[in-house]
Amino acid sequence: MGDFMGSDDEYYSDPDYSDPLENDEEDLQWSTSSVSSSKVITKESLLEAQREDLRRVMDLLKLSEQHARTLLIHHRWDVETVFAVLVEKGKEQLFGEAGVTVVECKSYASPKSSSMVTCDICMDDIPAREVTSMDCGHCFCNTCWTEHFIVKINEGQSRRIRCMAHKCTAICDEEVIRNLVSARDADMAERFERFLLESYIEDNKRVKWCPSVPHCGNAIRVEDDEFCEVECACGLQFCFSCSSEAHSPCSCLMWELWIKKCRDESETVNWITVNTKPCPKCHKPVEKNGGCNLVSCICGQAFCWLCGGATGRDHTWSSISGHSCGRYKEEREKQAERAKRDLYRYMHYHNRYKAHTDSFKLETKLKETIQERISVLESRDSTLKDFSWLTNGLYRLFRSRRVLSYSYPFAFYMFGDDLFKDEMTLEVREIKQNLFEDQQQQLEANVEKLSKFVEEQFDQYPDEKVMEIRMQVINLTVITDKLCKKMYECIENDLLGSLQLATHNIAPYKSKGVERASELPVLRTNCSDSYLQSSSSRSASGGTVELGLSSSGSPNFESGCPSRKRAKREALGAALFDLNLPAEVIDKS
Amino acid sequence: MVDFSRVQKELVECNRDKGISGVSITLHGDDLSHLSGTITGPVGTPYEGGTFQIDIRLPDGYPFEPPKMQFLTKVWHPNISSQNGAICLDILKDQWSPALTLKTALLSLQALLSAPEPDDPQDAVVAQQYLREYQTFVGTARYWTETFAKRTTMGTEEKVKRACTWLPSSSSLTQFYLLGRLEINMETKEKTHDILTLNY
Ligand SMILES: [Zn+2]
Ligand SMILES: [Zn+2]
Ligand SMILES: [Zn+2]
Ligand SMILES: [Zn+2]
Ligand SMILES: [Zn+2]
Ligand SMILES: [Zn+2]
Ligand SMILES: [Zn+2]
Repeated sequence: MGDFMGSDDEYYSDPDYSDPLENDEEDLQWSTSSVSSSKVITKESLLEAQREDLRRVMDLLKLSEQHARTLLIHHRWDVETVFAVLVEKGKEQLFGEAGVTVVECKSYASPKSSSMVTCDICMDDIPAREVTSMDCGHCFCNTCWTEHFIVKINEGQSRRIRCMAHKCTAICDEEVIRNLVSARDADMAERFERFLLESYIEDNKRVKWCPSVPHCGNAIRVEDDEFCEVECACGLQFCFSCSSEAHSPCSCLMWELWIKKCRDESETVNWITVNTKPCPKCHKPVEKNGGCNLVSCICGQAFCWLCGGATGRDHTWSSISGHSCGRYKEEREKQAERAKRDLYRYMHYHNRYKAHTDSFKLETKLKETIQERISVLESRDSTLKDFSWLTNGLYRLFRSRRVLSYSYPFAFYMFGDDLFKDEMTLEVREIKQNLFEDQQQQLEANVEKLSKFVEEQFDQYPDEKVMEIRMQVINLTVITDKLCKKMYECIENDLLGSLQLATHNIAPYKSKGVERASELPVLRTNCSDSYLQSSSSRSASGGTVELGLSSSGSPNFESGCPSRKRAKREALGAALFDLNLPAEVIDKS
Repeated sequence: MVDFSRVQKELVECNRDKGISGVSITLHGDDLSHLSGTITGPVGTPYEGGTFQIDIRLPDGYPFEPPKMQFLTKVWHPNISSQNGAICLDILKDQWSPALTLKTALLSLQALLSAPEPDDPQDAVVAQQYLREYQTFVGTARYWTETFAKRTTMGTEEKVKRACTWLPSSSSLTQFYLLGRLEINMETKEKTHDILTLNY
């Protein structure tokens, strides 16, 4: 602890710190961007994002870009699969299955321009210069090809437009489609371009659209583990695997079931909408007014919001942790109706889940209050200049509250009958439940303590008392982080790890919070690469490539985040986050 | 916009050898996007001797989009709805190619009559019967061909009697089944199913 006290002065003279408004966002940066393995793909970097994959396939197989793309689309942009199929089945089969036809040298059947050819589609005689052969050798007139392409683009099949001949599986030449369609309909050609580019997002298991509403225009690419939580450049945090809100330590399946259950139950049970609780002493309804789960009634009685039980009048945190309200004991009475028991069980977990989610919502407002208090302290003549411990503490609180709140739906399913009934004996289940609830209670107690200290009106306290609070906050920040980590480990190793049948993947715990995806750099160098060339010649011939709402319902790139914000975030330092360092140091390094 | 010049060429080409192919197309007034196809039942199948009318509607994108085809003549077949004549055939859906024609599509329907694909059924009831009680299926299909796909002057009663002679055992239950199926089918769809379950 001595280290923290001594090093304060070094962080004091931060020039940016004098402008809390402009600095607001950065100060509260929780994770750093450049260390993250996940990437934000914007409208601008979409081309860049797929270049590496295209390049690898083009180089290995000596293919043109469009053939490489066809292969990758067929294999859902998984380069490793393409290589594996190549080794396993050989080049011919790899190409055949994907519809790639490589001709050594393109010998367009070009008889004299005056000769006529019969097109089997329109059944007309067409001058030979107005027909086109695909690589598969099938030849039809340009009008018919164009019509075919437009129908397929309208059907949303741009990525795999097959040859018109019956049973021919060859994929049509990108360049031919581009040229013929843009000659007829420039808008349609743009749509084709966009569909082709967006294949990298739509047909790729490593890339997903950010689920923000309204859509920020970004997609996220993860490097190796799809079971993770990410934060988009727009600020939205989500579970990459199921695209809903970040919900660890709940598994995706548990979360899906929980959401559904909450929806179903809320229709029949009105207690969810009740935002007040009766005071255990005077029975007046008491509304929750802060993030903390110890509430007090105007009569002076303090009680626990989680269970409604009376507690000591002053904030005695040992009593909150002591009365073990996080623990639920199944009703032993055999006569208790099953349905009633199930409902009570659900209510128990839901009450706690909701209590923490509500706290979390209130704490977001708390951020502003705390900033104000910091400003008050800063303006006063004092030796205290560094308040990063407070912002760190606040963010640790947010983080831990999330973990805590999602730990309740987790426990609901882990120790309930819905998912693992046949995987554990009742005895084993009880042992595991005790183990988990013990950790959950420890975490809960410390989170409430941290909440209490962060909420103190320290701006009205003398310096010595602020220093005392500071020690407590720093301490609790470290403790709650450790407890969260421990809980995830317990879930992974002791609870889910021993199960045989079900596989529940939980996004790993990250001390720093949900990883913020970093932006892919957009190269603007004068590059002789074929892709850039073809894309620039494209815009010259058929208008610029605009990424908008595609017919398959993929989100719109037009409504992208303001680039100023992005640039700012990108400038963040590369240092690993160290909780013990003040926030602005982390941000600057 | 339907390519009418191609449709006209198709009509000429298809009807040129209709005697040999067994398929033909006729116009419905002057609307070239609404046609009527005819196929003869393949020899050696329960559909032999029948003539089947098919309603053909050409979407605006024809021939780049598949034609919409439906049996007008009632037919007992796993891949054709016994209720409304809807057809389950890949080339009329995602396997359509602009290089195919109305004639090739009708020929494919004829081939479908010879070789049902009960694993990809349009009519689950017929498909089940095809797989579990093949002889009953053959009898019913024959009877339907006789009743709906042939131009005769026979009354229903007489048709049922004739149909029953084709069945392995012309029990009264089968007779009831055929009669019930036939008569009720004319009225409501629900009742058809009642009769069917009664018989299975
Ligand atoms: Zn043509
Ligand atoms: Zn071809
Ligand atoms: Zn976003
Ligand atoms: Zn999920
Ligand atoms: Zn009270
Ligand atoms: Zn409090
Ligand atoms: Zn309690």
